[in-house]
Amino acid sequence: MIEVRDLAKRFGAVEAVRGVSFTAGDGRVTGLLGPNGAGKTTTLRMVSTLLAPTAGSVRVDGVDAAADPLAVRARIGALSDARGLYARLTARENIAYYGELRGLPEARIGRAIGDLAAMLELDPLLDRRADGFSQGERMKVAIARALVHDPPNVILDEPTNGLDVMTTRSLREAVRRLREAGKCVLFSSHVMQEVAALCDEIVIVSHGVVAATGTPEAIRAAAGCADLEEAFVRLTGAAGEAP
Amino acid sequence: MMGRILTVFLKEARDALRDRRTALMVLVASVVTGPLTLVLIAQFVSGLEERATTLKVRLAGAENAPALVNFLARADVEVEKAPPDYAARVKAGRLDAVIVVPPDFHERWLAHEAARVELVFDDSRTEASPAIRQSERLLEAFNRETATLRLMARGVSPSVNETVKVERVNAATPRQRGAVLLFLIPMFAILAPLLGGMTLAIDATAGERERGSLEPLLANPVPPAAFAVGKWLAAWASASLVAIVTLGGFVLAAAFYAESRLPALLQFGLPEYARFVAVVVPLAALTSAAQMLISTYGRSYREAQTYVSYLATAVSFIPLVVMFSGAREAAWQAAVPVLGSLMALTRVLRGDGLTAFDALVPAGVSLALAALAVAAVARLLADERIVFGRS
Repeated sequence: MIEVRDLAKRFGAVEAVRGVSFTAGDGRVTGLLGPNGAGKTTTLRMVSTLLAPTAGSVRVDGVDAAADPLAVRARIGALSDARGLYARLTARENIAYYGELRGLPEARIGRAIGDLAAMLELDPLLDRRADGFSQGERMKVAIARALVHDPPNVILDEPTNGLDVMTTRSLREAVRRLREAGKCVLFSSHVMQEVAALCDEIVIVSHGVVAATGTPEAIRAAAGCADLEEAFVRLTGAAGEAP
Repeated sequence: MMGRILTVFLKEARDALRDRRTALMVLVASVVTGPLTLVLIAQFVSGLEERATTLKVRLAGAENAPALVNFLARADVEVEKAPPDYAARVKAGRLDAVIVVPPDFHERWLAHEAARVELVFDDSRTEASPAIRQSERLLEAFNRETATLRLMARGVSPSVNETVKVERVNAATPRQRGAVLLFLIPMFAILAPLLGGMTLAIDATAGERERGSLEPLLANPVPPAAFAVGKWLAAWASASLVAIVTLGGFVLAAAFYAESRLPALLQFGLPEYARFVAVVVPLAALTSAAQMLISTYGRSYREAQTYVSYLATAVSFIPLVVMFSGAREAAWQAAVPVLGSLMALTRVLRGDGLTAFDALVPAGVSLALAALAVAAVARLLADERIVFGRS
């Protein structure tokens, strides 16, 4: 479970995030939806403890991120905006490196790679070096790498960016399975259909603040229109006009 | 913590070894450096000897000294008339040494008075020194012969004039002369770890940033210090390995030349090798840590490469500064990074013997500074501007 309270981040004169609050529960998929530059990535970076917030707090499974960032990291698997692999290592080695860094025993890493390969259809890639991988293949390996320790909380920052239809589909399937396994999945996107198709809960972010929160149905109702995309445009536009 | 450091170290080492082309290039370059340098030195030295063995003397005013010319002819020395502008030519480095005989020489010589000659030379050019010394020796020999003949003419044994017979033994210190020529070996000993640690130091810092792998790496529950130390240890190992191989090349080449006529100049055997390694490995700790620290500021591999090459240039200036400034050795210099190591290496080559002070002070300084640099890298890795700053 991820709880975010009044989170703010300032870079010099720029206020990237200005008081974001939401709760992402276990066994649910929570979507952070917003246009480019809304502050989604910055928020997710603060949740995964890579950025220190200017104000506000993040709690992951009850652990305060500011007080014990390493414990929070141990409970999170994050696919960040940057998802570079080591080109001279094989997919398996790339994934295993993160397992070793997390102190997992060798046997467990082997098992985890087997499970993740099945879930993400990675088997043909495992023993190839990463330098020849397509964008979709790199993405899958990066996700497997982030999930090698079977974390209870999964953060995916724009996971479908630049992926073709087939890869996007298999990724959605993987997200559903994570939900079925009882994980707390928090992911960001600027694509409406994706969020509508996957999320149990939507947090619409615009200009660094939360414009609306709720189930897809609740959001449609709040905006007073049947089409989610229309609701999105209205809500983000309204937040943009707010001071 | 130790386990994480080992994990990082092993990953970086494996990653670097997979980069076959770079690894091979660096290793091949370091293997051939030694032999190639020694071949060049050998050429230079034998060139010097050749200059001195063809006995030739330039005389100005030869007509004033028939006795000297006669002596030189008997000694099988070729006498060449010096051109009238000899002084300018010596200054310009086109003549090594000229014996100038004044007009009153023969008169005074016949009158058994001290007859003056001038030896014109420019000793700022090292390659002129054999010719200068040769002219001096020939003049001394002429002097001795004249004196001996005059004593004999008066019925005095020539040994009266020679109470002490000096025999030249070992011409002072061929080894010290060699050290001057072989300032190149310490130079390579200092540059080799720079070359050997560079690729890894850059790839592990700026490379991670450029690739976009730094952010996910730091999202692991591992303190940044563990990354900094593990990466540094890998860069240090690589730098040390290349230095050890490079110096090994010198040992092989020197062993090959030991059979030739230059052994005294090229004394670089296993004892010297062991001492060199003992000095260079701690130095490599510093150079690779410094390279990592500088590279961490680089947003791309290329940018970091530029920064690191400035470091290499700065470091390679140190041997040159020492050589040309004529700075006298002082105890405080042992505590100057790189310079202290360089002094220790020079001392080993000159055969002066390496004291614990000479070796431990530079090693201690290098390791302490390396620790500071690694701590700085660890701080930078936790810095938002480094982790996310791409512009």
